[in-house]
Amino acid sequence: MTGRRLSERVIADGVVVAAIAGWWLMSLRLPAFLMPSPLQVAEKVAALFVTPSLLADTAASAARVVVAVVVSAVLGGALALIPYRWPVTEAIVRDRITPFLNSFPSVGWAILAMIWFGTTNAAVLFVEIAILTPFCLINLLEGLKELDGELIEMGASFTRRRGRSFWKIVVPMLLPYVLSAIRIAYGVAWKIALIAELFGVSSGLGYLMLKAQIVSDAAMVYATCFAIVLLFLAGEKLVIDPLSRLVAYK
Amino acid sequence: MPSANSIAAAGRRAGQGWTIARRSRLAAHLFTLAFLLAWWGYSQTVPAFVLPGPVPVATRLVQFFTTYNLYKHAFASLEHIAAGMAIAFAVGTALALAAHYFPVLRLAVHGRVSPFLNSFSGIGWTLLSIVWFGVNEFTVIFAITVVLTPFAIINMREGLDTLDREMLEMAASFTRNRWREFTRVVAPALLPFVFATLRISFGVSWKVALAAELFGGRTGLGYLFNLAQQNFDVRLILVVIAIIIAFVYGTDRLVFAPLQSRFGRPDAEPAS
Repeated sequence: MTGRRLSERVIADGVVVAAIAGWWLMSLRLPAFLMPSPLQVAEKVAALFVTPSLLADTAASAARVVVAVVVSAVLGGALALIPYRWPVTEAIVRDRITPFLNSFPSVGWAILAMIWFGTTNAAVLFVEIAILTPFCLINLLEGLKELDGELIEMGASFTRRRGRSFWKIVVPMLLPYVLSAIRIAYGVAWKIALIAELFGVSSGLGYLMLKAQIVSDAAMVYATCFAIVLLFLAGEKLVIDPLSRLVAYK
Repeated sequence: MPSANSIAAAGRRAGQGWTIARRSRLAAHLFTLAFLLAWWGYSQTVPAFVLPGPVPVATRLVQFFTTYNLYKHAFASLEHIAAGMAIAFAVGTALALAAHYFPVLRLAVHGRVSPFLNSFSGIGWTLLSIVWFGVNEFTVIFAITVVLTPFAIINMREGLDTLDREMLEMAASFTRNRWREFTRVVAPALLPFVFATLRISFGVSWKVALAAELFGGRTGLGYLFNLAQQNFDVRLILVVIAIIIAFVYGTDRLVFAPLQSRFGRPDAEPAS
């Protein structure tokens, strides 16, 4: 078993090493504006986290992602709770708002936001929130559907105050879904942050990427992509995973 | 988002039979009307290049369907998506099968390739493939394919992981021919996951295709976005958005949902 696990590891890391080696070999033959070497890109990635002016862009993107995820989780939660409280609105949320937001193309939001709000921070946030909200909404609607009806009945038999049974029973049962909504939204957020920033503003990783692409600075285009992968993984491992362990433990 | 049934269920729960479902549907239609009215009302107060009203957008939509040139772009987008979905499905399934049948590759596929592809931004792939291949169809299809591949790997893996071990044992006791076992037992068991994969891929592919065509294409609806944006033609932007929403939602409801409820798990919802 350990032997097999070892060979599994060797192959997995071998794939990574081979990919980097292949990349390096290609970079020797191709011009740097087409295929920069892994080392050049690594330097740029490091610069994104160290050089103050670049770090400001990285931090701007990260801050927007965090704000957008939190706002869309709240917004998605509010939208999901409306039909829970007033069943008559079920079709409005399920058959109108959800499919509309869910099939609205993200590029469409980006272009419209640019026309409506100009190239501002608000435009980028608007785009990110508009794209993330349906992900949270779908997850929380699902969560509310799965709630244990018997527990809620029991709660109702203990107290007549709806607010009390909501906070003590519905919210704790809903927490795992809130967290999985945040997890999904967070994953999507980093990917669409670039789209939002390509049009929207003059700061952030998306802006750096577009600027680099225009001047054919391929190393920087690669570096912004990798920086996003790193930031995404860091956030997931350092924030989302501990949070979901906390919720699961309860 | 399956509605009539769940609303009916909600209605029964509330002990009011179908009336609440009917009222809910009525409320939804009223909501649509209110939305259109609000759009119209707001469009009266702002210049047309900021937000044109529903009527000019609708007339432009009709124009769209009577112009050959615009059909060309819609079909070009469809082609890009179909090609990207097919290639991504083949590659993703191949990788998932490889990891399943050769467990030694498991970590390489699920621990390295799939998370890497999954966390890499679609726009990143688009801009990189513009650098590599230039602005053309290949760039667009490449970007769509790379973005969709991890979805295929993850979904097909889930299917392979949930294969019924006892059924496989039974199959093994009936035949030694692994290919036969694969086509008769494994493939049918995977069918629901194939549909789930295609359904999710379709939903994602539209969004990726638009972004890829916007930056890296000379055809397709995304390219139309590009033109419209340069001309500040908000009407055209809204028309393209409306077509995409209608098409994506329509295809999901009319093609994938029936297919999936026929072949798949009834509870499988697209996670986009």
